[in-house]
Amino acid sequence: MGKDTTYWRGLEELANSPEFVKHQQNEFTEEVPVEQFLGSNLLGKTSTSRRDFLKFLGFSVTAVSLAACETPVNKAIPYIVKPEEITPGEANWYASSYFDGQDYASVLVKTREGRPIKIEGNGMSGITMGGANARVQASVLSLYDSSRLRGPQMKGAAASWDAVDKDIVSKLSQISAAGGNIRILSSTVISPSTKQVIADFTEKYPGTKHVMHDAVSNSAMVKANWHSFEKSAIPSYYFDKASIIVSISADFLANWLSPIEFAKQYAKGRKISKEKAELSKHVQFESNLSLTGANADVRYPVKPSQFGTVAASLYNAVASLAGAPALEASKLDIDADIKKVAKELWANKRKALVVCGLNDVATQMIVNGINTLLDSYENTVDLRTPMLVRQGNDEAFLELVNEMKAGSVAALITYNTNPVYTAPEASQFTEAYKKVGVRISLADRADETAAMADYICPDHHYLESWNDANPKVGHYSLAQPTIAPIFSKATGHEGTRSAQESLLNWAEVHEDYHSFVQKYWERNMFPHQTKESSFPMFWNLALQNGVLELDVNAPVEVKDKKGAKKESGAKETSKVNNGEEKVSGTRMDLASAAAHINKYTAKEGSWELALYEKISIGNGSHANNPWLQELPDPISKVTWDNYVTMSPADMKVKGYKMQERQDREASIVNVTLGNTTIPLPVYPQPGQMRGTIGIALGYGRTKAGALSDKTGVVGQNAYPFVQIVNGALCYTAGDVTLSGEIGTTELAATQVHHTIMGRNLVRETTLEEYKKDAKAGNEEELLTTSAGKKDAQDETLWDNHERPGHWWGMSIDLNSCIGCGSCVVSCTAENNVAVVGKDQVRRTREMHWLRIDRYYTTDWPNEVKAAKDEADKEGIGMVDMYLDMENPNVQNPKVMFQPVMCQHCNHAPCESVCPVLATNHSSEGLNQMTYNRCVGTRYCANNCPFKVRRFNWFNYNENDTFAGLNPAQDNLGRLVLNPDVVVRSRGVMEKCSMCVQRIQAGKLDAKKALHKLQDGSIKTACQQSCPTEAIVFGDINDADSRIAQLRKDERNYFMLHELNIQPNVSYMVKVRNTEPELAEVGKAHGGKAEAKVEKKES
Amino acid sequence: MTTTLAGKIKAFKNAAVLLLCVLSLTFSSAFADDGAKIFKQNCAVCHRLDAQKLTGPGLAGVAGRVPSDDWLQKWIKNNEALRKSGDAYANKVFQDNGGTAMTVFDGVISDEDIKTLITYIKNPPAEKAPAQEVAKQGNEAGAGQEESPVNTYLILSGVLALLLVLAVVLRGVKYNLLNVVAQKKNQPEVSDMGWWRSTILWLSTHKRTVAALVIVSCLWLSKIAWDGMMGIGVYTGYKPEQPIKFSHKIHAGDNAINCQYCHSTVEKSRHAGIPSPNVCMNCHKGIDHGPTTGTAEIAKIYAAIGWDPQTQKYDKEPKGIKWVKVHNLQDFVFFSHQQHVKVGKLDCSNCHGDVKSMTVAQQVQPLTMGWCIDCHRKTEVAGMKDNPYYEELHKKLAEKYKGQKITVDKMGGIECAKCHY
Repeated sequence: MGKDTTYWRGLEELANSPEFVKHQQNEFTEEVPVEQFLGSNLLGKTSTSRRDFLKFLGFSVTAVSLAACETPVNKAIPYIVKPEEITPGEANWYASSYFDGQDYASVLVKTREGRPIKIEGNGMSGITMGGANARVQASVLSLYDSSRLRGPQMKGAAASWDAVDKDIVSKLSQISAAGGNIRILSSTVISPSTKQVIADFTEKYPGTKHVMHDAVSNSAMVKANWHSFEKSAIPSYYFDKASIIVSISADFLANWLSPIEFAKQYAKGRKISKEKAELSKHVQFESNLSLTGANADVRYPVKPSQFGTVAASLYNAVASLAGAPALEASKLDIDADIKKVAKELWANKRKALVVCGLNDVATQMIVNGINTLLDSYENTVDLRTPMLVRQGNDEAFLELVNEMKAGSVAALITYNTNPVYTAPEASQFTEAYKKVGVRISLADRADETAAMADYICPDHHYLESWNDANPKVGHYSLAQPTIAPIFSKATGHEGTRSAQESLLNWAEVHEDYHSFVQKYWERNMFPHQTKESSFPMFWNLALQNGVLELDVNAPVEVKDKKGAKKESGAKETSKVNNGEEKVSGTRMDLASAAAHINKYTAKEGSWELALYEKISIGNGSHANNPWLQELPDPISKVTWDNYVTMSPADMKVKGYKMQERQDREASIVNVTLGNTTIPLPVYPQPGQMRGTIGIALGYGRTKAGALSDKTGVVGQNAYPFVQIVNGALCYTAGDVTLSGEIGTTELAATQVHHTIMGRNLVRETTLEEYKKDAKAGNEEELLTTSAGKKDAQDETLWDNHERPGHWWGMSIDLNSCIGCGSCVVSCTAENNVAVVGKDQVRRTREMHWLRIDRYYTTDWPNEVKAAKDEADKEGIGMVDMYLDMENPNVQNPKVMFQPVMCQHCNHAPCESVCPVLATNHSSEGLNQMTYNRCVGTRYCANNCPFKVRRFNWFNYNENDTFAGLNPAQDNLGRLVLNPDVVVRSRGVMEKCSMCVQRIQAGKLDAKKALHKLQDGSIKTACQQSCPTEAIVFGDINDADSRIAQLRKDERNYFMLHELNIQPNVSYMVKVRNTEPELAEVGKAHGGKAEAKVEKKES
Repeated sequence: MTTTLAGKIKAFKNAAVLLLCVLSLTFSSAFADDGAKIFKQNCAVCHRLDAQKLTGPGLAGVAGRVPSDDWLQKWIKNNEALRKSGDAYANKVFQDNGGTAMTVFDGVISDEDIKTLITYIKNPPAEKAPAQEVAKQGNEAGAGQEESPVNTYLILSGVLALLLVLAVVLRGVKYNLLNVVAQKKNQPEVSDMGWWRSTILWLSTHKRTVAALVIVSCLWLSKIAWDGMMGIGVYTGYKPEQPIKFSHKIHAGDNAINCQYCHSTVEKSRHAGIPSPNVCMNCHKGIDHGPTTGTAEIAKIYAAIGWDPQTQKYDKEPKGIKWVKVHNLQDFVFFSHQQHVKVGKLDCSNCHGDVKSMTVAQQVQPLTMGWCIDCHRKTEVAGMKDNPYYEELHKKLAEKYKGQKITVDKMGGIECAKCHY
């Protein structure tokens, strides 16, 4: 931590209200409701005499002892014929592919006794490179979702597959014979085999057309690239090759295009060491504080209406350096800053990258123009290797809706899409859908769209199905079933069926999809390679690796389906690009694009809106997944809700409640845009551009599944706010009006449970400083003693622990951590962490073993600095000094993320206060927690300076209050539990064990293989899932290990070193690439000017 | 005193059992013993000693059938070579048995052992006499009784009651004698206050003794209660009835089948593994009746896996077998067989006892945490010495604990998170 910055975890800490000060020392923010804990609030009213009590006591003791005397009879049923590959007690891993229409990831699936229990990234993939985000991690739970349909439905009633197939085939044949229109509407399909299935279907029913529609669309990019380069595709981006990244509202670390891939690349450019003291620089223009913006070195809050203008101004600034003609652009008050950014871009020509998240053709064209001027193409942007994960076409979708409205669509098959929920209100999809003759849905549940369909033919979960994927030209991957379909005849249901098999069935191609994919690969992929000479070998290898990279540009002879030879080359494979061959018309040039930028002038008193996706819920397709609902938003730390994000200064003006503590009420207001009004709570968000609001999409699912039966509909659906502008779906809008407070609610945030009180927990420095001194920003914290300042380790009461064997340690690089929360979900899955629900989170009882603290950083104004110096000199008035210090410029704070789990202190404060020795130290440096010894005094949690110990207030896996919420309560959901980790009961403390089950397993593997433990062979769950490799775990006693090296690094530090707790978890100082010049501008815009306003108001 | 009494009873019983066993043993030469072992390990899967055919022909009278002992020796060693050499009888045997080739034992059984084997086959042991069976059952019953504490207590309380009666009788005798003496001396009759009143009197005059007795008996009762409580949840001797009367004694004992043949994952996983019925079928496809239960129990395997012995096909609906778990560890304990068997090189019997002699599998050890820790404190680590994984640690520990033996607990083997997580 620099001396002149201060960190605060939330506005309540910043405001430091008397109430906050009163509560900040308490672990729990309110009285503990004992009645609820005991299960009945009538208990206080009963009159049980002492005698009665003793009678009950005596009876219970006797009853319990008698019950305990009974011999338990446990049955063990072996396999009839044990599958050769299964060893009970040992996990099997299978490579597969995840694609839900939004995220693509090549994954490894861990199965135990035939059931998938954990998803990890596949390191062999050239795209996701071993990364898996929170949604991919959580996808294993949706396999065991009891809300999935167990068989097909006809007009809302269960039916047999035969009946449904017969009905559908006869109807489709009639339509086809009459020349009627059949449409297949899906989200992006990246599976080449599925496309072949649709082609076969189309062959059978010639009136068929396939339309792809993404809930959060990027179709303007495809169009812009056609206008700019006559290529209808989305290029690949290489963030790792860029020295400077400028993003205009593209949340590329969380949701934009291929976030897992981009996070991996981004992290490569952010790794720093003495040998390579270089960092990429990241500049972000946005209105909401996004995860990507939070990681930016310099962030400019801009109104959504100005995004296009920012692009145009940036183009002009670069063009003036390149000597190209300027475009028409209105003035911005940050023009001077943009010029400086342009200068940096120009200085890093060929190593610069500009991206834009706006779904606006003109803006995207201007961004293309900037990248062209900067020679980014073929360096940081690659249009030769198009990305195929977003193929949705807004125009085709809107055309389809018009056809439907006109009543000319005789049958509509929806696959992996939910337009009744996601389509913008303006498109009137729901009305149009009612006019379709035959509505067929392939959804796995009766979601908003499927519920209106005539037939629902439920698809398998991806972990039950065969499939393939082609996320990028030349990159292929396979998906294989890791469990037999859970709902099938064998389990007493009519069963699910893969969507592809349904389509094949209706096309009267009677082939199972497994052999279909296999044959497709034999025809199309196998000839492209020379390594394997036999197809079975090739197939097995591809299946084992999960991924395959082919040079598709080399022309080879391939056979088509009927065995005829045909030429294949680049054209053959790039055909899958969205509509590349069909587009015709006149291409726009840059100048006219500049004139067509989507901008709007907001009316007086109205607000601008930017819709966004959360990293947890995304576009809303996983709304029934409690792990994701409980994952705190990385920025706001709110769970189980969406809300209006608003600048605190604006909130003061509007008189909304400021929620200075997390369980305080939030004002609900009516948000109105056009004819749509949605009531939402307001959440104060520092960094939000003034005059703008943000709302997350993906909430308000009414038919997502059983979870909402328990919790009520989570949040509100913001898709109706999506606009249609210039034939594209537009996620920003002006002219939003906000009502006054119409009610109140309580948001469940995990933020500000405990205060920091100015301690040096997160440390950062700038690149300049780091280059001068690698220890910059990493000052040692000394203990003040009567004999002066001393290293706390020299003034110890305790003996050191002996660690003759291993000594486990973990290092977390704050420079790499992007705060995405993937580790939190991974930890939840690995360690059977309970889901507790909104109400319990409000009571600060979330069970996550690993949290990511988010600190807003602000620079101290000069006068505060002077005050601190004064206070230092006099050595008095600490509290007043902190009060003064915490007067930052909230308008545009910098953000830091710090994952905090049990620090496994060697002199652990928790260990010395446990009255029953339930928590103690191992000879390998682990702070052990023994659940069955714990009596629940909670002394340890009280004494833990990091507050990482979580107490089981309830028997979450049995208590009825959590039925329908906690997957462990559901017969099906329970299958996801990791059998190597105990499910904790009520009344015991739990915390991070450093994945001791993995440590033990890793050690055992080394022992059996008769070799020393190899560094990196044991990975904790958080480490394995970290998309940026910020977490390193290993044996400190092994001098060659990475962890031992990292602990010697100058950036290494321990939290609360001054307390001599000697944690085994260490952190690495964050280095920001804020060149003073640019940082100043950033501050001048969002910072100081606004800070002055603040002061005037207060 | 009670212990010595119990000890004597036990010793007497043991002696009786031993005597019975010794008497029932039939004479057999060491030679045939070896032969029996070799036969069971290598031949019994396909051949029976009587005339009944299994996969291979029954061996009764085989010496008379074959050309010579020498031919038999060659046949057993390498029947394939013998057939290829054009030996007519060898090829005839092959054809007669449906062209199923016999295993080649060249390099598996030594020539010397084949000779022993032939001697054994020529002189098969007589069918077991009924007396032998009875002795065996008696033996088992005795073993069961020995471990039951209830019987000891019953005997003790019987003895106690006997002593009490004796005391009352003796007391009556005493007063009668005293009265006789008094009559002789013309003294007044000693009045019997009644045993109750005299006891009260005695108690009231010997307060210290009474206090001491009360304390001692309180302590003694507490100990009984404590032991009883500690025994809750401990199922040493647990011997549930199984759906199939599988005998470890016949398989692991008599037939010397290696434990890992059936519990095949013991070195690969935390679980030793319960064999799936298809493993049973490796042998029981041929062996359809057993020595004690005939076909009844083996038929249950067939039912479980859906095998039809008539059609010799798996054409029935499989049912599975619901074994009753004998060793039940709590869910919050992580125990790994591979750590103990593969790495620690422990023998199965350390925890499971002499399974080879168990007709019905039973829990021998208490499986309590105290028992685990006790072993970890006492056991010197055996697997560590030649395992490179432990090399460095071993050196460090050897230096630290000079001269002492390195036990599991010294390597952190009794730390909580080794088993609880």
